[in-house]
Amino acid sequence: MEPSAPARNASSDRRLARRVLLIEDDPGTAHEILSELVDRGFAVEHAADGLEGQAKARNGDADVMIVDRLLPGLDGLSLIESLREEKLATPVLVLSALGSVDDRVRGLRAGGDDYLVKPFAFPELLARIEALLRRPVESRDTALRIGPLLLDLIDRTASRDGRLVELLPREFKLLEYMMRREGQVVTRAMLLEDVWHYRFVPRTNLVDVHMGRLRRKVDADGEPPMIQSARGAGFILRAPE
Amino acid sequence: MRPSEFAASSTVRSSLVAATAFSAAILVIFGFVYWQTQSYITARIDSRLMQEAEDLANRIPSRRAFLINERLRQAPRQFDFTGLFAADGTPEAGNLQAIPAQLILDGQPRELSLPDAAAAGGSPIGVRAIARRLPSGEVLVIGRSLILVHEIAEIIARTLAVGAFPAGCLALLIGILLAIRNEKRIARVNHAIRRIVAGNLRERLPTRGSDSFDKLATSVNHMLAEIEALLQGIAGAGDDMAHEIRTPLTRVRARLERARRKALDPADIRGVLDEAILEIDQCLAIVTALLRIAEIEHSRRLAGFGSVALGPLLREVHEFYEPTAEAKGVNLSLAAAGEAEVVGDHDLLFEAVANLVDNAVKFTPTGGAVALSLLRDAAGPVLRVADTGPGIGEAERDSVIKRFYRSDKSRHETGSGLGLSLVAAIARLHGFTLRFSGQAGCVAEILCRPS
Repeated sequence: MEPSAPARNASSDRRLARRVLLIEDDPGTAHEILSELVDRGFAVEHAADGLEGQAKARNGDADVMIVDRLLPGLDGLSLIESLREEKLATPVLVLSALGSVDDRVRGLRAGGDDYLVKPFAFPELLARIEALLRRPVESRDTALRIGPLLLDLIDRTASRDGRLVELLPREFKLLEYMMRREGQVVTRAMLLEDVWHYRFVPRTNLVDVHMGRLRRKVDADGEPPMIQSARGAGFILRAPE
Repeated sequence: MRPSEFAASSTVRSSLVAATAFSAAILVIFGFVYWQTQSYITARIDSRLMQEAEDLANRIPSRRAFLINERLRQAPRQFDFTGLFAADGTPEAGNLQAIPAQLILDGQPRELSLPDAAAAGGSPIGVRAIARRLPSGEVLVIGRSLILVHEIAEIIARTLAVGAFPAGCLALLIGILLAIRNEKRIARVNHAIRRIVAGNLRERLPTRGSDSFDKLATSVNHMLAEIEALLQGIAGAGDDMAHEIRTPLTRVRARLERARRKALDPADIRGVLDEAILEIDQCLAIVTALLRIAEIEHSRRLAGFGSVALGPLLREVHEFYEPTAEAKGVNLSLAAAGEAEVVGDHDLLFEAVANLVDNAVKFTPTGGAVALSLLRDAAGPVLRVADTGPGIGEAERDSVIKRFYRSDKSRHETGSGLGLSLVAAIARLHGFTLRFSGQAGCVAEILCRPS
């Protein structure tokens, strides 16, 4: 964890293993997710059906929940709706084989915080869980600062060590998104969804090309790089060492 | 077909009904002829009887008896019965022994039954007779047998027997034969349908001539041909999909197997695994794209439709693709000066234009250009993506929107082969037309109106 990370709601638990409640009925998928998360140091609790999941969720000690949409007993969306009615605010990542725009909208409307369509790559799942665990607080800051990089949200300008970084409007949004998630892996899909608001998957290198442009502007020749590629997953922005 | 089934079939029943109706009609006609003939003859007899009675009444009384007997003798068939009776009923002349009881002496002809005077033993025969009291107090009775009417009735009955009955039978026979023929045709059609239901889609309904039954069969056959073509299309798409997915899976399998056989060091194994993941991602991309097309094609719900400004949409696409085009050395230009709005789904239209631009950039060699423009013709807005790539040959313009179609020019390019199918599906959903043209390079246009 970055010591310079801004204060967050869950900061008191920071040093403890983060707890994930996985509600997934398919044993194979559950096993894969469980092993991967345990390897990454998460404490994972597993429920194989909707009702068991609801009971475990009500204990309320999970930091994040992964909920499959199609569950025996109680379907995923009803489960989330019932928890939200009980004022349980634990962030939820909805997993689903249903990938249409409507399904996604329904998933988010039911109270899900993010929606991931099966099959997914593990880096994508991890990045999204990380993002849910460290959801940026809606700040009223007028500027964001990461190391030498300063983003003025009023003037819509960016500078690094006093050097003005000229950005197009979309690049500004992109940089703001990255800076609000400092030290966190952001995937191409997350960028497409959140920065461009696209829900289709174009050729993968489109995002890379945009990011490449931004990177060349932020990390000038000779400067230590702040935007880096996270292999097989996406990009990460952090203050230079 | 068993006899009971045959009798139960509706065609047989209707032919029986037709034959019965035909026979009944013949009976009615004959009955009418008989009735008319009989009425005519009776009327003639009646008028003759009245004339004769009048004639005899006007004769000198003393001559009457002589005249009556004379006429009976000379022309016995003219009036079969004549009788002159005294006021007390005593016969005075003629061949009647008494005044027939049924007669009323009012000079009106009546029908009654009298013993036949001509035949020995005198079996009763039908007679038309008239009786009137003469001024002298005598009673005159004249009658004529209805033998002629009976003979005509017999002739008619005979005619009916030799003509109408066989005609009725013939009608019935023809009805049954037609029914059998129809039953056989229906049975053949049913057989054909059962074979079609069983899965033999090549099967067609039998047709022989050009009657309405054949016209119906021809229509059904036409429909079957359409269904067969559609199903073949689906089966073909399924085959294509299986093939598209099997190819990378086969490669993955081969690579993994080779990696296991050879003792590779961890770095090499990681390389093989990375390649395998890439290939599998490609398979998944194909499946995702297919599901996406299916989602769009099956979406009949236009609830997500709203007003879409095409100018900003093109600017967005341009902004999104410009870095990629630049990186490839392709000049991506935008000409969207005018404003135009259509009713549609913004995200889908963006996706459609993005796919066209994606293709254009992909196929345009370095140094080429892709022009994105918003035009307006008489019928509505036109979204145009023109490139200086190899273009699409006239012969291929219908094929490129088919799933998995790859022109020879694009065979070495990566991609799911589904991009243009997706664009076409989106255009269809909106009721727009996707058109390809261009001599050098390719011009793809979405005409925001039906073709």
